[in-house]
Amino acid sequence: MAKVYKDLREFLETLEAEGQLVRIKDEVLPEPDIASAGRAASNLKNGPAVLFEKVKGYKYSVVTNVHGSWPNHALMMGMPKDTPVKEQFMELNRRWDKYPVPPKVLSREEAPCKENVVDKDINLFEILPLYRINDQDGGFFISKASVVTADPDDPGNFDKMNVGTYRIQVKDKDRIGIQALAMHDIAVQLEKAERKNEKVPIAICIGNNPLVTFMASTPIGYSQNEYEFVGALQDGVPCEIVKADLCDHIYVPAGSEVVLEGYIEPRVREVEGPFGEFPGSYSGARNQCVVRITHITHRTNPIYESLYLGIPWTEIDYLMALNTSVPLYKQIKEGFPELVALNAMYMHGHVAIISTKCRYGGYGKGIAFRLLSTPHGMPYTKIVIVVDEFVDPFNLEQVMWALASRVKPDKDVAIIPNCPGMPLDPSSYPAGMHTKMIIDATTPVPPEPNPRAVELLEPPAKTAEYEEIIRNLLKQMQ
Amino acid sequence: MKCPRCDSETIRKMVDAPVDNAWEVYVCDTCFYSWRSTEDPHVHAKFKLKPEDIPNLQVIPPVPPLEK
Ligand SMILES: [Zn+2]
Repeated sequence: MAKVYKDLREFLETLEAEGQLVRIKDEVLPEPDIASAGRAASNLKNGPAVLFEKVKGYKYSVVTNVHGSWPNHALMMGMPKDTPVKEQFMELNRRWDKYPVPPKVLSREEAPCKENVVDKDINLFEILPLYRINDQDGGFFISKASVVTADPDDPGNFDKMNVGTYRIQVKDKDRIGIQALAMHDIAVQLEKAERKNEKVPIAICIGNNPLVTFMASTPIGYSQNEYEFVGALQDGVPCEIVKADLCDHIYVPAGSEVVLEGYIEPRVREVEGPFGEFPGSYSGARNQCVVRITHITHRTNPIYESLYLGIPWTEIDYLMALNTSVPLYKQIKEGFPELVALNAMYMHGHVAIISTKCRYGGYGKGIAFRLLSTPHGMPYTKIVIVVDEFVDPFNLEQVMWALASRVKPDKDVAIIPNCPGMPLDPSSYPAGMHTKMIIDATTPVPPEPNPRAVELLEPPAKTAEYEEIIRNLLKQMQ
Repeated sequence: MKCPRCDSETIRKMVDAPVDNAWEVYVCDTCFYSWRSTEDPHVHAKFKLKPEDIPNLQVIPPVPPLEK
């Protein structure tokens, strides 16, 4: 059974024991230190989480880059920290099929997130060391919260409860702006409530079990429950949750560091942004939704977990890498069992690499069309590279070899104009429209002619054995 | 004091530092730009806002019609 973390604290302990968390003990100013550390940690190979123990003017600590490297990602899944990305992908796929694993509902007394209650004179700054993430952001943003809402027309339906990650701008001590894009689940719920001019109860959970955060940023179906997926990804161990204090239909992770409760003000929009976004550029100011916070519960000495976003790669790219790849893989695999692996981790799937065996001529292009017609791939993916089944799509050197040795551009590259696009991609014009490109780097199979078929080089007989020998020798040298 | 983004004078102190009076945070009630007294806010020309343009910013998500 894989190692499972009840909460952020347990995960931080493991990261530290594995040499994947560093502590800054000296007092720092909120700006520019915390964001700089987030950028710096993701600039390093195998970058650690960075915990600031003392931030000037604040009471509590802040941690950044918790998900921000492949070793941290592997440890999140309870795997050895040197697990290759493709193996992490395969293990995620295996656990994904355990869905649904019903969560375990704890009593209020059992849940650490209820240790302290604030229900008057709400002041977010008393609890959270808020800070500016990028220089031109319009304010201090909360970049890594798991936001829980229910369906106003079907509030008791557990499956329709949504746990998602949305950007949040602090506008006052007790008031925040939130981005609900029309394509996101929370916007579906908001629309139903706004038609009736009703408040939308909301719980904003900060500092979580790393797989809760991972699932909150995974694109899954509207009536699929994120907590049931967390149980699946914990290899069958249920996720522990507890009822929110203000709303009977909302459940929050029992081990959250901080839970902000309140409501979205119906039919109100106010200026929000700019905010440095995942494509590596700012998204500008728009009129967006507003939330009033009326109740806070938190653990004693809460840890504020936050994420830096910049020009890729930064923490968000690790967080949205395999959780974008796995759902797409599952959707294509259903009809095309030859599919071996799928890497959709460049800007949330804008560029994707598919590894597949080809059953007949033209198969590679066909698989690419399938990706481009999945719910996520249709707007997001614009460049698809298809490689043979023996090429690891997570190994870019191998992918480049496939392009270098397999592609005849006049027949293997296809351009499809005037397709859906993702508005946040600055090359999409008009915003929301785009051109698709398919590069088929697979070896031709009949009936496609392959006039210069080659014999591939095989690794010498004892290669795997020597990999193990060399790895052990290196370990002894450390 | 003027707002670094929209030049309005609708500035107020949002909050004091919870510890040691280390800083204050200010906010503009017109455009919601906020900053800490320990920062030196400089808004790029591209991100400046005129108060009269605020109602014309894109609305996300659109507000649906009220049900009778
Ligand atoms: Zn202003």
